[in-house]
Amino acid sequence: MSNPSVSTEHTSVLAEGWSVVRRAAIALKWLVAGFGIALLAIGVIALAVVTALLCVVGVGLLLLRAMLDLVRRVAELERRRLRAIGHPVRMPYAEPPRGARAAWQAIAHDPTTRRDLSWLATYAVVGFVVGAVAIQIVANGVQALTLPAWWHLVPRGEATLVNGFVAVTTWPGAWVAMAMGVIWLVLAVALSPVLLRAQTVTGRRWLPPDPAIDWSTRVAELTATRAAALDAHALELRRIERALHDGAQNKLVTVAVLAGAAQRSLENDPQRTAEILERVQTGAESALAELRSVVRSILPPVLEKSGLDGALSALAAQSPVPATVRVTAGRVPVSVEATAYFAVAEGLTNVARHSGATHASVEVTMRGDVLQVRVEDDGHGGARVRDGSGLAGITRRAEAHDGTVTVSSPVGGPTILEVRLPCGS
Amino acid sequence: MRVVIAEDDALLREGLVLLLQGEGLDVVAAVGGPEELLLAVEEHRPDIAVVDVRMPPTHTDEGIRAAVAARRAHPELAVLVLSAYVEQSFATELLADGAGRVGYLLKERVGRVATFLEALQRVAAGGTAIDPEVVAQLFSRQRANDRIALLSPREREVLSVMAEGLGNAAIAKRLFITDNAVHKHIRNVFAKLALEPGDDSDRRVAAVLRFLEAADR
Repeated sequence: MSNPSVSTEHTSVLAEGWSVVRRAAIALKWLVAGFGIALLAIGVIALAVVTALLCVVGVGLLLLRAMLDLVRRVAELERRRLRAIGHPVRMPYAEPPRGARAAWQAIAHDPTTRRDLSWLATYAVVGFVVGAVAIQIVANGVQALTLPAWWHLVPRGEATLVNGFVAVTTWPGAWVAMAMGVIWLVLAVALSPVLLRAQTVTGRRWLPPDPAIDWSTRVAELTATRAAALDAHALELRRIERALHDGAQNKLVTVAVLAGAAQRSLENDPQRTAEILERVQTGAESALAELRSVVRSILPPVLEKSGLDGALSALAAQSPVPATVRVTAGRVPVSVEATAYFAVAEGLTNVARHSGATHASVEVTMRGDVLQVRVEDDGHGGARVRDGSGLAGITRRAEAHDGTVTVSSPVGGPTILEVRLPCGS
Repeated sequence: MRVVIAEDDALLREGLVLLLQGEGLDVVAAVGGPEELLLAVEEHRPDIAVVDVRMPPTHTDEGIRAAVAARRAHPELAVLVLSAYVEQSFATELLADGAGRVGYLLKERVGRVATFLEALQRVAAGGTAIDPEVVAQLFSRQRANDRIALLSPREREVLSVMAEGLGNAAIAKRLFITDNAVHKHIRNVFAKLALEPGDDSDRRVAAVLRFLEAADR
């Protein structure tokens, strides 16, 4: 067992650095994916131009519907990427328009279609440029860093940097290039989260439903989450009822039964009384222990006493896998804190059970009015969320708060559990 | 008296065995689940089975179902069901065959050893033992159009004590009335519930059953 508060400054700095690099790598992955989507968007625009030209002849009108379908597919791809990054963007589409005239009507008037098209046009440019910059930075870095290893193997003048603008011809030049490579890569680490934010701006702007027409879907969503909340509530009540009935109550009944037995033995067989009383005591103690654990599962007393920070530190201290905790969020509603607490508890349990990790980090931050909880490990990944698992329970709890739970766990790791819980009204 | 105990909580099971053995009863088997109960009844042919309602696998009403099944296989078996809370539909289910030899008590009643042993004896001898709590629940749910509604307050009182399984003398003592008065009230109860004259103990069970069913509707 290791206590995070006494872990040395040295290791925590290392862990911090490592997690920054890992985050940059993940951002980079999504930047490249975004670049791919931008290429698709450009392709679709090219097709759209051809379709528009064909419309002049008349044939193009027949293709309008297929065209809109294509736009939707690319937009959906981007929405999937946004969701994976952690922006819950969903679009409940109506049926695609039937017939050329309806398709034209949609392009002219339907806000959803128009928003999709706005996104397509802007993203083709922004997504491409930002993605290209990110890829360029990394490519420059890798090329420059490895230059000393290969520049003398290629024909003179062909060992170049920055897309051929600078040629390296001497050893000192090669070493300088290597130093520049380090700078490029540091730049990549520092910039990739920023670039990813820039690349997702247009999607976040245009791909959610038009706020003006969104009420009905929002109502449907609220109804669903409310049902989930009630479900979660009922499940929770059943769990508590079960725990009280089969645990504490049975133990207390045992106490009553044994007390009766002790009383009778006073008359019949006084020698046994002491032995029976001993059992009475054991029964009473285990009833108390049972009650404590039920109470703890409802609202952990530690949460009330020392806040989320202290409660999570206590959890981390109990975790078999060493874990560091960083909480920068202040106090939030206690029900949200409890959900965050149980999410972290479940996350750390899974880390210890399945991940094979040597270290885990817990981070709780406030983004606007959303509490973000992140449990990350350095294990082998490959985690799946199954129905009936603890994580499914956490998801229900989070949905009850209008929150989301995402698990990213590629084979090879790392596994990241992210829970976002709105704390606003 | 040969007893089989079915209770899934190990500590409580041990406690029950300890208690009953201390009272000189012959506990021939103590098991933790409904299937084991049926096997134990088959093997040992006990006089009475003491059964917990909530047992694995679902912890809902396994005990009731096991008790009903055991009774179907061995109608002479007496069954005393113990429960952490009372649910009068369980009692109705148990009494449904009208044969008596059934008890349904809150678990903690076991702690009042003398009363519990009495109930045990009574059920084994063919009577009933319905927990006062069940009876109280029934009265709070009575509807106006039930036959039960025809009973006078005193007759209700007599009926509820009868449901617990007490005999005439004990009823008289509990309600501070004479044996004759008890006799008269019980006759009225039978008449108002339209129970044909016949074996008195059968009618007592039937009256209790009628009473339970009335609350079920």
